[in-house]
Amino acid sequence: MNASTHEPLTLSLSVNGETHDLQVPARKLLSDVLREDLGLTGTHVGCEHGVCGACTVLIDGRPARACLTFAAQMEGHEVTTIEAVGRPDALSALQQALHEEHGLQCGFCTAGIVMTFEHYLRENPTPTASEVRDVLSGNLCRCTGYQNIVAAVLKAAARMRGESV
Amino acid sequence: MSSAFTEIGRALPRKEDRRLVTGRGRYLDDLAVPGALHVSFVRSPHAHARILGIDSAEASEMPGVVGIFTGRDLDQLTTRLRIAPPIEGLQPTELTTLPIEKVRFHGDPVACVVATDRYLAEDAAECVTVEYDQLPAVTSIAQALAPDAVLVDETLSSNMVSHQSLCVGDPAARRAEAHRVIEARFALHRHTHVPLETRGCLADWDDGRAHLNMHIGNQVPHPLRSQLAKRLGLSESQVTVISPDVGGAFGQKIALYREELTVAALSRHLRRPLRWREDRMENLMAAAHAREYECRTRTSVSETGRILGLELELDEDFGSYCFFPANYMARVIALIMTGPYRIQDYAYEVRVALTNKCGAGPMRAPMAVTSWVMEGTIDAIARELGLDPIEVRRINALGPEDLPYKMPTGELLEDVTPRETLETAVAAIDVAAFRERQAQALCEGRYLGLGLCTVIESTTYGSEFYKSAGIPGSGHEAAWVRIEPSGAVNASVGLMGTGQGYESPLAQAVAEGLGVRSEDVTVHMGNTDVAPYGMGSRGGRGATAGGGTLYLCGLKARERVLVIAASMLDLNGAGELRMRAGQIERMIDDNWQETGLTLADVARRAYLDPLALPEGIAPGLDFSHSYDPPAMTYSNSTHACEVEVDPRTGAISIDRYLVAEDCGTVLNPIVVRGQQQGAIAMGLSGALLEQVVYDGSGQNLSATLADYLVASPNELPEFEILHHHTPNRRTPAGIKGMAEGGVMGAIGVIANAVSDALAPRGVTIERLPLTPQSIRALLREAAPSPKKRTQP
Amino acid sequence: MKPAPFLYHRPANLADALSLLRAHGSAAKPLAGGQSLGPMLNMRLARPGHLVDLNDLIELDSVRVTDSFVEIGALTRHHRLAIASEVRRSLPLLSAAAATIGHYAIRQRGTIGGSLAHADPAAQLPLIAVTLGASLVIAGPEGTREVAASDFLQSIMTVDLRDGELITALRFPLPVGGLWAFEYFSRRHGDFALVSVALSFARDEEGKIDALRIGLGGVETVPLRLPEIEARMQGRPADETTIRDLAAAVAATIAPEDSEQVPAVYRRELAETLVVRAFQSALNREEGA
Repeated sequence: MNASTHEPLTLSLSVNGETHDLQVPARKLLSDVLREDLGLTGTHVGCEHGVCGACTVLIDGRPARACLTFAAQMEGHEVTTIEAVGRPDALSALQQALHEEHGLQCGFCTAGIVMTFEHYLRENPTPTASEVRDVLSGNLCRCTGYQNIVAAVLKAAARMRGESV
Repeated sequence: MSSAFTEIGRALPRKEDRRLVTGRGRYLDDLAVPGALHVSFVRSPHAHARILGIDSAEASEMPGVVGIFTGRDLDQLTTRLRIAPPIEGLQPTELTTLPIEKVRFHGDPVACVVATDRYLAEDAAECVTVEYDQLPAVTSIAQALAPDAVLVDETLSSNMVSHQSLCVGDPAARRAEAHRVIEARFALHRHTHVPLETRGCLADWDDGRAHLNMHIGNQVPHPLRSQLAKRLGLSESQVTVISPDVGGAFGQKIALYREELTVAALSRHLRRPLRWREDRMENLMAAAHAREYECRTRTSVSETGRILGLELELDEDFGSYCFFPANYMARVIALIMTGPYRIQDYAYEVRVALTNKCGAGPMRAPMAVTSWVMEGTIDAIARELGLDPIEVRRINALGPEDLPYKMPTGELLEDVTPRETLETAVAAIDVAAFRERQAQALCEGRYLGLGLCTVIESTTYGSEFYKSAGIPGSGHEAAWVRIEPSGAVNASVGLMGTGQGYESPLAQAVAEGLGVRSEDVTVHMGNTDVAPYGMGSRGGRGATAGGGTLYLCGLKARERVLVIAASMLDLNGAGELRMRAGQIERMIDDNWQETGLTLADVARRAYLDPLALPEGIAPGLDFSHSYDPPAMTYSNSTHACEVEVDPRTGAISIDRYLVAEDCGTVLNPIVVRGQQQGAIAMGLSGALLEQVVYDGSGQNLSATLADYLVASPNELPEFEILHHHTPNRRTPAGIKGMAEGGVMGAIGVIANAVSDALAPRGVTIERLPLTPQSIRALLREAAPSPKKRTQP
Repeated sequence: MKPAPFLYHRPANLADALSLLRAHGSAAKPLAGGQSLGPMLNMRLARPGHLVDLNDLIELDSVRVTDSFVEIGALTRHHRLAIASEVRRSLPLLSAAAATIGHYAIRQRGTIGGSLAHADPAAQLPLIAVTLGASLVIAGPEGTREVAASDFLQSIMTVDLRDGELITALRFPLPVGGLWAFEYFSRRHGDFALVSVALSFARDEEGKIDALRIGLGGVETVPLRLPEIEARMQGRPADETTIRDLAAAVAATIAPEDSEQVPAVYRRELAETLVVRAFQSALNREEGA
C-alpha cells in the first residue's frame, strides 16, 4: 500500500473474526476506527499517548495500545477487542473474577486490563502476585487501588488451571 | 451492625459489573448521534497575557470547519458566571464563558473550533492565530499576596479573593500559660483528579421543541441543569441533563465548566448536535486542579502533651478562576481542623489567593490536608516534648465520655469513635514489636518508620451547613419509588454515580425499606427528566443522603403496600403484617407466617382493580420523598502505616498499611471496602507521586501521564481494613457516609511515617510530595547518620 | 490529540522501504513499533509528510547467534528480547534490561531499532548497546554501513542516521563477561529511569576483575560508557573497596543534566548508589548460580 494522496484509504480489516471493508484516513487511530467506524465502543480512550492502557486490544493475539496504532497498519492482521471476550451473561474467567473480587469501579480501564491478561495468562498460567502487578502496571486504574484486580487475576488464573477457588 | 436489617449490609456484588467488564457500558463517547459535529479548543500558550486579536480567517476555510467562535461570540450566547454569595471577606467574581480581554493560565481556552470531525477540528485549531501581549505571571501564594502583585483578576482589589478568621476561647492566654508552644508547617502540593475518562459532553439542541439534551458525565445532574438553563437563558423545562456511565470524576465533574457551556451554546446556535471530548493534555492542564495549601499551626501544650490551644494559618492557591466560592474548600478544613481531639481554644486565619494557574475545585476529600496538619501537629508535640506520639493522641483524643462533643467551631460530633479506632490500629500494628525492629534496622543503616493518622471525616452536608456557610443551596436529597403493575420495583434519586457502584447499595436501601429483595429493585439515575431534583453526588453524601432518602421512601411505599394487603386479607389494619422478599407475612402466635399474598398481587390490585382498594387509597403505587440530613455527619478512622526509606536513593516503600474505620451502618460492604481502598490509593498516589508542576513563568510542565504520575500497582501496598460500626443516631438506618477519609488519612499517615523513619537524622516532613529527590535533599542537609553506615 | 495528516506507505520488503525513504528524504519517517513515535505523532510533536511502516519487513525480526557476535534484527520486539532463550543465554544483560522497558503491552510492539533511532537518553536498549560495544547495521542509498552505537547516539533524540537510511540490525560482539547486572531507578514501575546502570565483567582464575564494561543511562544526553574507569578496574579484586572506588570514580566522572525537578547532585548520588548495587547484584548472581 503506497498512498499518494490524502484521500481516505480503502481498508479491509479483520476484527473479532469478521472482515470489514472501510474507508478511513491514513492518520486515523485504530482506537477511533474501532469505536467510530465499527461501533466497537468497548475499547476506551484514556490518554492517547500510550500510558494509561485503557485502549489495549490484541493484535494477532498480543496486547497493544490501539491509540498508538493506525488502522491502516492492521490490514493483514487480526484485531481482537473486548467485545469478543465474554458477554454479560457469559463472562470469561477473568471477567467473572473481577466481578466477584470487586476488581473494578468506574469500569473505564477494565477492558484494557481484561485484554492485557487475555494474552498474559496464556503465556504464564501460574503468575505470582508480583508478576501480576508488573504486568498490570501498564494499565492505570484511578478507582480501585489495584488490590482487588490483582486478587481477581490470581483467582482467574487458578480457575483457568482447573483449580476450584 | 443491626441484625434487624435483611438487605442493608448484604455483600451483594455490583449490578453494573456485567456490562462494564464486557465493554458494554455506555459512556459519553459511546453514544452515537448521527451528524454530530466535533469541537476543539484553541488554548493559551501563556500563563497571563492580553488578547490583542484572534485571526481565524485561514482556519475557517479549512476542510470540515463549520465555525470558529471566540469569547466575544459566546458572550452574546450566554450569561456570565457571577459568584457573589454574601460571605464576609469573600470578593465577588464574574467570568465570561470564554476569555475576552486576557488569558489567565496556560491552557485557558480562547476559541472554539467546530468541525465535522475531531481530526479536522484540531487541524483548524492549530491555524487560529491569537496575538497576545504577555503579562507577568503570578505563580505562587507569596507572589499573589505581595503588596505590588499583578492582579490576576483586574476587577478585584487584590489577589486575596477570600480572607476569613475566627477566634474561639482565648488561644493567646493559653499560649501565655503553656508549658511549650509548638510550631509546625505543612505544604501540600497541587493535585489534579485524573478520571480515566476525561471531561466531555454531547449537546443536542432540538430546534423543533426548543429543547437542549445535554449528555454529560456529571456528578450533579440537577444543579448542572439549573446552571445550564440560567447561563443559556432557558427555562429549566427546556434542558434535560443525561449522565451516562461515567469513567470516574472525583469532584472534577461537578461544576459547569466553560467548555461544556460553550458546546451547549453552540449546539443551540448552530442547531446541530455538538460533541467535545477533552484530551488528556487538556484534562491535566485545564480541567481543574486542587489541594495547593500552605499551613502553619501553633499549639499551646502542657508538659504531658495535652493541647491547651491551637492556632491555624491556612493559605490556599486557588488558581485563576472561581467556579466555586473561593472560601468553599478552605473553610471546611478550618472548621473541622481540631477533629478527633479535645480542643476548645482555637483560632484560624484563612487566606485564598488567585494565581495564574488552572482554577481549583473540590477533589475527593477537598479537606484532605486537615488530617495531615492535625496529626502532624500531634507528632510535632510528641517530638518536641520527647513523648510517645501514641500517648499524646490518647490524652487528647475524644472518648465516649466526651460525646456528644461540640468543636470550637460549633460543629457537633456524636457517635464517633476516634479513641477506639486509634486503639484498634495500635493493637493491630503491635507497636512494641515494630519499635524493636526499627531499632535493629537502624543499627544496620536502614530507616523504618511508623505513622499514625486519626481522621474525622465530614461526610454529609445538610442544608443547615450551607446556610451557616452563607452558600445558597440545599443539602437535601430526593427519591421516588414506583411499584409497577407487575410488581417490578423502580426507584430513582438525584445522585449520579461516577464509578462508585451505586446500583447495588442503593437498591439495597430501597429493598430494606420496602421489603423486597435488592436484586428485584432497579435504580435509575442521571436523567433529569426521570430522577427527582436532588443535589447529586459529592463529598461522602451518597449513602447517607441518597441511601437514606431511598430507604425512607421505601418505608413509605411499604406502609401503603401493607394497608392494601391488609384489606386484601380482610384484616382491620396492617399492624400485624410485614413484607419480606416481596412476600406478605403475618404475625400469628409470635411467628411470621406466609400469607400467600405477594407484592405483585398488591400491585395488580392497586393498578388494575383500584375500585377494590380500601376507602381513601388512591390507585397506583407511586411514592416520592425528600430528606434533609443533619447539618453534618461524621465518620472516623485511624490509619497506620509502616515504611522503609532508602537513605541512598530517597525511595519510600510501604511495608504495611492498615486502617480501622467507623462509617456506621454499611449499605454494602463490598462497595464500601472498594471505596476505602480507592481513597487510600488516591491519597498515597498524591502524597508520593502526583504533582502539577508550573515553572516560574507559569508554564504547565505536567500535562501528560508520563509527567503527572499516578500510582501503578507496584507503588501501592495491600490495605488491611478493620471495621467498626457505630450507627449515627440521627440518620436513616444509622448511615454515616464515607469514601473521602481514606485520602485524608493516607496523606497524613505517609508523611508521619516518613518523618518517623527519618527522625534519627532530625528530618521532619513539612512539604509534599515525598519524591525521592526531595527526601535526598532533606537528608543531604541533615545530621549525619547516627550509626555505622553500611553498604547500600 | 490527533496526528496531523501524512501519507502512509507500507513497503513489503527492505528494498522498497529504502527506495521510499530515499524518495521522500527528510519528509519521511519510518514507523516501527510506534511506542515512542505514536505519542509524538498524536501530540503533533512529530509531523512527517510520509510515514513508512516497517512492520511488514519481517526479515528484520530476527536473532542470529554466531561465535563472534549476536545479530538482532531492527524489528525485533522488546518482549522477544526479554523471553527468547537464545537472547537470555547469549546476552542476559540485554534480555534483563529489555524486560524492564515500559509495560507488557509496550514491549509487545516496541522494537530495538526503533528504540535506538528514538535515542531517549534514559532508555534501556541504547544503554545496553553502548555498554556492550554493539554496532548498528544501517542500510541506505549508498549501501550498508556499520557504526558503533556510541558514535551513532549523538544527543537527546539525535542520531547519526541520514535521510534515506534505515537501521536494519544491531550487532553485539561476543564474548561478553559472565557477570552482569542492570539496575535502574525510576519514580514509578515502568517509567523511564532517572538513572540506570549496566555492567558486565568476568573474573579471572584469581577472582580478579576482567573485561569490565560499565554504562550509565539517564545522566547525560546520551548513554555513557566509561572506558577509562573500566581500564582502571582491570585486575582488581572484586571486593568492597573496589566497588566503592568504582562507584566514586563513576560519580566523579559524570556530568549529569541539572533541572529543578531532578537536580544534578541527585542523579550523581543515584549513579553512585546504583553502581554499587549493580556490582553486588552481579556478584550475588554468581554466588547463586
